[in-house]
Amino acid sequence: MSASTMIDRHNDKTLPVKRRKIGRFGWLLPMIPGMAFLIAISVYPTIYSLNASFYRWNLAATARRSLVGLRNYELLLSDPSFWHSVGVTLTYVFIVVALELAIGLGVALLFFRRFPGDHFLRALLILPMVVAPVVVGLLWRYMLNAQFGVVNYLAELVGFERVDFLGSTALALPTLILIDVWQWTPFTFLIMLAALQGMPEDIIEAARIDGARSVRIFFDHILPMIRYPIAVALVLRLLDAFRVYDVIFMTTRGGPIDVTQTLSWQIYDVGFKSFDIGYAAAYSWLMLILVVMVATVVLKVMFRKTDFA
Amino acid sequence: MTAISYTPPRRRPRWTKRVGLGIQASAALLATLLFIAPIFWMISTALKTGNQAFSATPSIFFTPTFENFAHVFTGSAFGSALMTSTFTASVSTILALILGAGIAYPLARRPGAVQQQVAFWILSLRILPPIVVIIPLFLLLRSVGLTGSLWSLIILYTYMNLPLTVWLLRGFFADLPVEIEEAAYVDGASRLRTFFGITLPLALPGVISTALLAFIFAWNEFLFANVLTGASTRTAPVSLTEYVNPVSVEWNNIMAAGTLVVLPVWIFALAVQRYLVRGMTMGAVK
Repeated sequence: MSASTMIDRHNDKTLPVKRRKIGRFGWLLPMIPGMAFLIAISVYPTIYSLNASFYRWNLAATARRSLVGLRNYELLLSDPSFWHSVGVTLTYVFIVVALELAIGLGVALLFFRRFPGDHFLRALLILPMVVAPVVVGLLWRYMLNAQFGVVNYLAELVGFERVDFLGSTALALPTLILIDVWQWTPFTFLIMLAALQGMPEDIIEAARIDGARSVRIFFDHILPMIRYPIAVALVLRLLDAFRVYDVIFMTTRGGPIDVTQTLSWQIYDVGFKSFDIGYAAAYSWLMLILVVMVATVVLKVMFRKTDFA
Repeated sequence: MTAISYTPPRRRPRWTKRVGLGIQASAALLATLLFIAPIFWMISTALKTGNQAFSATPSIFFTPTFENFAHVFTGSAFGSALMTSTFTASVSTILALILGAGIAYPLARRPGAVQQQVAFWILSLRILPPIVVIIPLFLLLRSVGLTGSLWSLIILYTYMNLPLTVWLLRGFFADLPVEIEEAAYVDGASRLRTFFGITLPLALPGVISTALLAFIFAWNEFLFANVLTGASTRTAPVSLTEYVNPVSVEWNNIMAAGTLVVLPVWIFALAVQRYLVRGMTMGAVK
């Protein structure tokens, strides 16, 4: 026997090396239960809701459901409140993601060079992002309360008037944005920090020796090197921001009037308060199309083909 | 011995470096304090009396009381909600781990184009906002009589966490050198025995981190739980909403209950710190 076949022994299908009667596709066996489960629970709702979106179907109404074709979509697309929700959601998503990426990167740069106690501070910074969103909503509602909230107390100390942050049409959405930024900036921070600390140091050191200034080093060397982690953080936060619901449930419930009516909230409202299943299904599909569109554009811009290798 | 001549690169004097690091560390400290101030406020309110919690001039120094914690445990359904949450999150985590490992291991050991497609399909399930699927799932679970039962939540949390466990476990399994397994085959071990006796113990830190992360997500989930649970099967996050009613909002009790919801998750998060980024990015950033 030649040496090359000895080395190749385990990959060589002609040699009977302990391949016990599991056959050619035996390795697929353990995948079956999980894949069956995933397919069942993902395909069913998709088909169901696509079908439902072509019906006029209200669980609360006495009329039986009737096929109306694309009528639900027509109604939605000509409904100003739908476009309002799209606007609110996109505003929320883009501002939230931009702020979280910028602040996360900024804070990560503060932790880039080691200092005594940095691990301890980093551990503390993790805490906000694992707080249940329901608790986050309640906590901020308490802190922002106009009468006994600590934020208003501090604002008054420095000379501002007390305001009902979550009850004001002008401030409710910015406040929700700040709450999200508070909870999720630690997440972007961790990603950025991991990225910064994973950079090969000699490149930056070389640039520094060449006399490059810190700002130049940051834009010319650091930023391009951490492009991929930034893109990952961006996409994940983007997808997550679209589904904001828990915090709104606990704070504004879409109000005051309609200034915080995000798509998620609207769908919940139509589906579980008006029981308008057909309309809610059409709503869901339009939201899904929007999410996929935004995600696709972002992926196209941020990733190169080679990133998936 | 040859002498190596070495001219050190031009550097800033050491003292400016020191001052720079001092400023940087202070800024980092300030940022951290800003982010954890609300958490401090939650815990301190949980230790206040009702009067203190509703005072227009909040106090930082006060005699802490544990009455709120005693109250939320005994005076309401919150204690049993915590048990419900523990049960649901644990069972769904175990299921997601078992089903996930079944998918992840072949994907890790038999890489290929089709396998990659499968992995990305599983990942793409995460793009679907839960609100989009909740209505059909609600109607489905209602038609089989599972609404109000904990099993509906267990099924949905398993589903929700499967993409996570598949992607993370795939990474952890792929990290193990295949030669170790091959050595076991050569020694006559069966595939099952190799997996449970060699692969799994070696990947255990990764598996445990995956489990803790899945637990955290199931524990914190609200939308499904709010829609699918009945009065006797509320999870802790849903139960929290009971303290909020038009007549009174018991902030000191809410904060105590909130602290109890958050505490186990904090401990888990600190335990998996090393893998937290990897876990929350589905393995995209290590």
